[in-house]
Amino acid sequence: MSPEQLILAEHLATVMSWSALGAGIAVLSATITAAGQGYIGAKTVESIARQPEAKGALTTTMFISSGISETGGIYGLLIAFLLLYANPFVGRFIELFGLG
Amino acid sequence: MNFDIIHLWRFEIGGFEIWITETHVTTWIIMGALIALAIAVRIALKNFKDVPGGFQNFIELIVETFDSFLKTNADPKLMFLGNWYFTVFAFLLLGNICGVFFLRPPSSDWAVCFAFAIVTFVLIHVMGVRYRGAGYLKSFFEPYMAKGKIPNLLLFPLNIIGELARPVSLSFRMFGNILSGTILLGLLYGIAPVFIRVLFPVPLHMYFDLFSGILQAFIFTVLSLAFISAAAETE
Repeated sequence: MSPEQLILAEHLATVMSWSALGAGIAVLSATITAAGQGYIGAKTVESIARQPEAKGALTTTMFISSGISETGGIYGLLIAFLLLYANPFVGRFIELFGLG
Repeated sequence: MNFDIIHLWRFEIGGFEIWITETHVTTWIIMGALIALAIAVRIALKNFKDVPGGFQNFIELIVETFDSFLKTNADPKLMFLGNWYFTVFAFLLLGNICGVFFLRPPSSDWAVCFAFAIVTFVLIHVMGVRYRGAGYLKSFFEPYMAKGKIPNLLLFPLNIIGELARPVSLSFRMFGNILSGTILLGLLYGIAPVFIRVLFPVPLHMYFDLFSGILQAFIFTVLSLAFISAAAETE
C-alpha cells in the first residue's frame, strides 16, 4: 500500500467508525418506544383488572396500539440497518476517492 | 454478513431490465400454496353440507371470523373491501411466517410492503371522494378558522404531508419488523457457534416469525381498514 492509499484507508476507517456510532445512537430511539409500550401494557393490565370481561377487546386494542407506537423505534432500527449494511457514506467515499 | 436480496435471474424485455429475485420466488411459492388451497375449497364446496364437519368447519371458521372482524372494524358500506383485505391478510400471513421454512419473507423487501401500502393509499382517497365527495376534499383544510367558516390554507400543506406519510409509515412498520427478524436470525445462523444454532433459534423463530409476523399482518389489515373507514365516514 502506498502512503496516499494508507491515508485514504485511514479516512475511510473514520467514516466507517462514525457510521457505526451513528447506528448505535439511532437504535436509542428504542428506549422511548419501549417506555411507551410499557405504558400501554400497564394501562391494559389496569383496565383488565377493573373490567375482566372486556379482556378480548382490550388485548386486541393493546396489540394494535403497541404496533402503532412501535413505528418510531422501527424508523431508528431501519436507519441503523442502513448505516450498517448499506452505508451511503462509505459508498460515496469509495466513489469519490476510488478506494476499492 | 450479506443480507442483500439475492438476484437469481436477469433478462431484458424491450430495453427494460427485469430482475427475478428471491422475493419473486418466495411470492410464487406462497401464491401457489394459496391458489392450491382456493382450488381445494372450490372443489370441496360442491359437497358442503348444512352441518359442517372437518375441512368445511375449518374454512367456515376462517371466513366467519374475518367477517365478524370486518363488521367491528369497518364501515357497513365498505364490506365489499373484505374480499381484497382477506386476500392481503392471507398473503401477508403466509409471507411473514415463511421464515420458519427458511424462505426469505417477501415483506423483508420494501417494494412488497410499499405495493400493499400504496393500494391502501389509493383506496383511502378513492373511497373518501366516492362517499363524501366535496366534503372529503374540504377535510384537507380542517380545522376551519372563524368558527368553521373559512378554510385554513395554512394547514393544507400539513394535511398533505400527513396523507403522504401514511403509506410510508404503514409500509416501513411491517418492513422494519420483518427485516429485523430476518437480520437477527441471519446473524445468529451466521456467527453463532454450532451448539447454539441447534435449539436456541426456536424461541427466536417463534417470536420474530410467528408472533411478530402474524401481528404485523393483522395490524396492517386493521390499520388499512381503519384509515379507509375514517376517510369514507359521513358525519
